[in-house]
Amino acid sequence: MDRYSIACATLFGLGCTLAASSHAQEVVNPDQWSPPREAKISPVTQDQLNTADKNTTNFLLTNGNYAQTRFYPAKQINRDNVKNLHVAWIFQTQVKESLETSPIVVDGVMYVTTSFSHVYAIDAKTGEQLWHYSHKMGPVTTYCCGPNNRGVQVLGDKVYLATLDAKLLALNAKTGDVVWNTDIADPELGYSETMAPTVVKDKVLIGTNGGEYGIRGFVRAYDAKTGKLVWNFDTIPENTVGVWATKDATGRDMHRDIQAEKDQLAKIGDPYKRLGGGVWQNPAVDLATNRIYFVVGNPSPDLDGAPRPGDNLYTDSLVSLDLDTGKFVCHFQYIAHDVWDLDAASPPVLVDVKDKSGKTIPGVIHAGKTGHIYVHDRKDCSLIRFSEAMVPQENMWTLPTKEGARMLPGANGGVEWSPIATDPGQDLAYAINLHQPMHYRVENSPYPNGKLWLGGAFTAIPGEKQSGNITAVNYNTGKIKWQVKTPEPMIGGILATAGGLVFAGEGNGKFAAYNSSTGKELWSFRAGAGVNAPPSSYMVGGKQYIVVGAGGNTQVNFRRGNNIIAFTLD
Amino acid sequence: MVRNLISMISRGIIFGALLSVAPALAQSIAEKVEVCAGCHGQDGKPKDKTIPVIWGQQAGYIYIQLRDYKRGDRKNETMQPIVSSFEKDDMRAIAEYFAKKPWPNLGQPRSPKHVAQRALSAEHSVGCTGCHLEQFQGDGTTPRLAGQSQEYLAKTIADFRTRARGNNPGMTDLMRATSPDDLAALAEYLAGL
Repeated sequence: MDRYSIACATLFGLGCTLAASSHAQEVVNPDQWSPPREAKISPVTQDQLNTADKNTTNFLLTNGNYAQTRFYPAKQINRDNVKNLHVAWIFQTQVKESLETSPIVVDGVMYVTTSFSHVYAIDAKTGEQLWHYSHKMGPVTTYCCGPNNRGVQVLGDKVYLATLDAKLLALNAKTGDVVWNTDIADPELGYSETMAPTVVKDKVLIGTNGGEYGIRGFVRAYDAKTGKLVWNFDTIPENTVGVWATKDATGRDMHRDIQAEKDQLAKIGDPYKRLGGGVWQNPAVDLATNRIYFVVGNPSPDLDGAPRPGDNLYTDSLVSLDLDTGKFVCHFQYIAHDVWDLDAASPPVLVDVKDKSGKTIPGVIHAGKTGHIYVHDRKDCSLIRFSEAMVPQENMWTLPTKEGARMLPGANGGVEWSPIATDPGQDLAYAINLHQPMHYRVENSPYPNGKLWLGGAFTAIPGEKQSGNITAVNYNTGKIKWQVKTPEPMIGGILATAGGLVFAGEGNGKFAAYNSSTGKELWSFRAGAGVNAPPSSYMVGGKQYIVVGAGGNTQVNFRRGNNIIAFTLD
Repeated sequence: MVRNLISMISRGIIFGALLSVAPALAQSIAEKVEVCAGCHGQDGKPKDKTIPVIWGQQAGYIYIQLRDYKRGDRKNETMQPIVSSFEKDDMRAIAEYFAKKPWPNLGQPRSPKHVAQRALSAEHSVGCTGCHLEQFQGDGTTPRLAGQSQEYLAKTIADFRTRARGNNPGMTDLMRATSPDDLAALAEYLAGL
């Protein structure tokens, strides 16, 4: 029974339990009849988090470790035996709606989230529910692309959660009780939270959604013990003009009318207050230099550049900050004055890379909606190289028109929010891509007070075939090593393991393992609902497991479900 | 809408509403919302089919619409005088009141197969379910569309396209990017859900 239902039952009888579930997509699943149990975990230490990349038992961070490599170092499940992988258990949540969670595993306890900001603690060996936190959502939620939640993180004895109504919560990791609850921002102004927090050195790092609603984006650090704000970094500085860049990161002309923009700037001033710049995904943390790296999303409104002259800093950019102070270190903008929503959403990854002279240096890589993987020098964010395009590109950068201009990639990418994986031993990055031919249309309208502000529309072209792919890119050469085509666009994420495998799911319910060196499919399973979440791996009782959510996806409208599925070997 | 206003004035509904809202805090929500039934229906079924169903609608959506009428962001000769004296707490309470009511069955028929196919093709292109969700039930500040009056849906779509309804330009953009025939199919399809 979830906490709110217990309170209702105690005070008013069971008749009011439905009040806790006001969202139409939630399904009834009688967990109220099984009493909550304590999740028996030891407090997670900072040392454990620092060395998560070597931990073959737990899965402690959303993307595996602070470098966000999504490379799991265990190899009990490998190329030879993955054909024998089978279901260990299936856990059904109460929520049949888009499922984007990255399962976190600590000492045999799994923490997963669902749409509408529910959290479940599950026995990672048996799939039994231990406790369920059902967030009592405020009446006003304003969000783009689904009521998603991408997960939690644990530090000490607390589980950290950011919610759709823009709150940050610390829960007791053993019981699910709320320890503290902080308002991040006002949902009535277009703010919402779907990302998992990153917790490091007693700071809870969180960005914000809202780039489709005219917000002013930010990344913030909150005190992990108290929930008090430690620092705030506005992703939109007060001077957003930049250098009037006419070319994108790959050197292609973006067809800007710079003089018209300068005239508009003189007329309306800097547009920073409503320029968007959401941060959809987790920052990577460089423990050696005490810096964080994250990417900033699109400017508002998405398709109409008229109300926002200038480069619109730091939208569509990689940004680095000092972890302790939140002070700016460096940035690199991929697309200045974006009018296509081909922004930066997939979380950056820290790996050692070859620079232009062939010397190995600390690097940071990001997979863009453009379909390129960008490789940067971690020291100053500068671009070293970009990969071959992983998806078809046509008519870039045709400006949106009233009638609709055809251009590829479509506005979802390329690589959407889906985290990539890497295998540093092979110099490979693995990305899942969408191919959705779209028309880009522009309309002009004033800021609508926190409501959807697209400045036009991007619409899939009826009759044009959509598809997807899994692509392995050598980030030291930029060359594609292998590519597996999929029948539908791919969104969700991917996991690489020391067993020489990558795991990824599709919207049609297929979840498969591939040889990470060749892309050869070695095993697959049909989940019955879209597998559009990043997989995780862990060990319990001496056995390695692979786990993934199968709940479909709102954004691309893949079949919904409510399953967390764990796989293992006999 | 002017016709409705005249009708309401003649029945003393608006005058009564304004009187009843003045001592707002002293009255129950049930008393405050009495006036609403005049147009939105005693049983949740509006007699004028261009007036929306609000019983069972999402609370966040109802609140934002009341707020927008008060601000003047959404214009309606009937609604604006009614909400002018409402405070934020009143609007939230009224929204909760109607959200908890059962959604009425308007008895609208399922759309024929060819209409449904056209509607779903348009939905796939625009991505309606990205906000209104898979079953078009809405959530938070996004309204339920499933089972809403077809005439109201058609009117609202038209008002978005002409910007007569100006409080959600994102919807205006999406409606203008879709052909009238596709939108007519969508209205019929959604009404029949």
